[in-house]
Amino acid sequence: MIRPSAAISRKLEESRAVEAIADGSPPRDPSLFMEQPFDRSNAERIGYSNYSYWGSTFRAFLKRPIAVILLCVLAALIAFTFIQPKLPGQYPATLIINHPLTKRQLSSVPPTLSTVLTTAGEGTLLTVRPYDDPEWAAVTNLVSVIQRRTKFTVLEYAGDWLRARVGDDEGWIANDFANKLKLPDDPAAVPYESQSNFPVNMFLSPNDYTSAGNELFARRSDLLIDETGGSAVTIRETPLRILPYQNGFWFGTNLIGQDLWALVWSGTRTSLFIGFMVALMEAGIGILIGIVWGYVRRLDRILTEIYNVLDNIPTTIVLILVSYIMRPSVRTLIFAMCLTTWVGMARFIRNQIVIIRDRDYNLASRCLGTPLPRVIVRNLLPYLVSVIMLRMALAIPSAIGSEVFITYIGLGLPVSVPSLGNLINEGRKLLSTSQSYQLVFPTIVLSIITISFYMIGNAFADSADPKNHR
Amino acid sequence: MTRYIVKRLTAAIITLLIIISVVFILVRQMPIEGYFDNFDKLDASVIRARLVQMGLTDPLPTQLKRFLLNLLRGDLGTSSRYSVGVPIGRILLTKIPISLQLGLSSMALSLLMGVPLGVAMARSQTRYKARFWDAIGTVFIVFINAVPAAVYHIYLQAFGSRALNTSMLFSREQPLTWVLPIVSMSLGSTAYYAMWLRRYMVDELNKDYVALAQAKGVTNQKVLARHVFRNAFVPMIQYLPTSLLYTISGSIYVESLYSIPGMGGLLVDVIRRQDNPMVQILVIIYSCIGVVGLLLGDMLMVAIDPRISFAKKAGAR
Repeated sequence: MIRPSAAISRKLEESRAVEAIADGSPPRDPSLFMEQPFDRSNAERIGYSNYSYWGSTFRAFLKRPIAVILLCVLAALIAFTFIQPKLPGQYPATLIINHPLTKRQLSSVPPTLSTVLTTAGEGTLLTVRPYDDPEWAAVTNLVSVIQRRTKFTVLEYAGDWLRARVGDDEGWIANDFANKLKLPDDPAAVPYESQSNFPVNMFLSPNDYTSAGNELFARRSDLLIDETGGSAVTIRETPLRILPYQNGFWFGTNLIGQDLWALVWSGTRTSLFIGFMVALMEAGIGILIGIVWGYVRRLDRILTEIYNVLDNIPTTIVLILVSYIMRPSVRTLIFAMCLTTWVGMARFIRNQIVIIRDRDYNLASRCLGTPLPRVIVRNLLPYLVSVIMLRMALAIPSAIGSEVFITYIGLGLPVSVPSLGNLINEGRKLLSTSQSYQLVFPTIVLSIITISFYMIGNAFADSADPKNHR
Repeated sequence: MTRYIVKRLTAAIITLLIIISVVFILVRQMPIEGYFDNFDKLDASVIRARLVQMGLTDPLPTQLKRFLLNLLRGDLGTSSRYSVGVPIGRILLTKIPISLQLGLSSMALSLLMGVPLGVAMARSQTRYKARFWDAIGTVFIVFINAVPAAVYHIYLQAFGSRALNTSMLFSREQPLTWVLPIVSMSLGSTAYYAMWLRRYMVDELNKDYVALAQAKGVTNQKVLARHVFRNAFVPMIQYLPTSLLYTISGSIYVESLYSIPGMGGLLVDVIRRQDNPMVQILVIIYSCIGVVGLLLGDMLMVAIDPRISFAKKAGAR
């Protein structure tokens, strides 16, 4: 059923009332009515309305649980982006983390809560490499690297691992996809010669206690190191770490060995800064020009013509052109985005002002000699707050989205400035690999931010509309 | 009516002139590397001679005048880096058909999905319990509007190509690789059509003529189809020419993501290679599409909606 419209039911009631009057008959049952004595407190209550615009807006907003939850999430997230660098044990966002011994970048370390890569059982024999630290020792169980297409003798076959000998070295080789060993049809019939088209790591034991060939770190107190200092035995279950300290990479590291956790929050700061600046500029410029446009009648024609030109150009194209011409930087992006977005805001303000400008209470204000700025700020702007807030709330996610888009085209911020656009653009190439976390984490944070702003903006606009106040 | 059209046409032409001039002047501010394919290897005298030959040392107004006259003659200039020395018009002619095919399919798809979704959402508004479609549609619209397109296209490409078991990139010969780009391109406008159609239909449903029609005993189906839908679709017609024209230019992002050899992908390519003449022409084409699309949309509205009249508006300032 389509709801009976309010207008129709009102008309029905009116017609019944008219019938009743035409009838001329008195109320049928007098006992339903009784005389009320005069009550001073009641009289005063009628004269007083406890309606307050902001209070009602706030109450209407609270009635939307999803928006309230998202507001809390968003507030916590924004607060965290500022707190994060001050927390203990954080890596600086742009720091490239190298392995202390090999000086190689710790690239694409998967997300971990601590730096522990693996644990070695009690009595594991390890090689100790020179590393000058009182607490930590650099250990590995790598014997040697067999060069590609070098023949080695397989001495023992144990499925995933096989024992092999090259020259004087003897050790264990992983029989896995990465090594692609060339084995005979019956691999268990040892000994035989074998080789691989790739360099193969040979280990002391059938375990890989390295991170991609790099040394791991263990506490010296967990090890029994012999007097030459060249080898050690673990005296208990020993955690082996990729770095000689505790704090891990919660979101992993990227291709050049930067901590993705720090990068994501730093990028969120950049993107939010761009979003907030664009929203503020849009509101500032839009309100200013909108008020002038609506209030100064002589400028109306010119501004309308300017609006017609500006409104015709697609925003994306302006963004692309300006970023193409100017050098990429945060300022360029903000400038390019502000260049056209204020137009919509200004038009809205202008239309509203033209509507409200000549209402009776404004005429009264003018007759009483209220100065123009006061008329604008006190009489006009409160009507526009809800839509201004909505436009600002929606400008932030769209600015963040534009940044991602512009970075994809190749006109965005330099890679040295972390931003969500840069992170997503870098991670995009890795989505189909095992390193897809480099895309997933930035997109999760980005989606939370944009969806929250969108939902909160809409919920606020609805609750700021006096029609929804009860 | 004729007066209105003439007025709008002149305004559009003036707008186009302004846009072309501004774009032209702005691109002139670019470093001159963008006019040479092998800038690093050339010495200063050669660069100088080539600049003079291309007329880039003339004063700006002279250059602008020449550029506009060439445009009128249909000469769009030649590419400087993308494919050296080839007339831009010829490059575009190979690109437009692909964008057009994909664009038209995606536009058809988004109308086919967006309009029924919008109607279903508006219909479920009128029932008190069956809000199913409204909920589904709202989630879809919020998702598409709030999450940047640049993000969800990436995931659609990766997971979609895995699900369909196709290549991630577009290939003209394999029809299956057409599916994902078309779906990607249509998502945004599907959400757009559904959102606005729902809003306009709900507005119309609350009007008195609906109650009158019901009071006369017209069935709900007929009220929706004959009255509400028709009235609600009128404001949306305004945007059809723009969407139609944008199918020529293609979606910048999707085409580049799937390596589709169309106009949108071309823009990204020439920006990355800093081919100034081509960036300039493409930006101008995109802006022109915007202007012409709005113009056609307004005209279409005037032609279709009998409520718009050209009697002198009373009380308009």
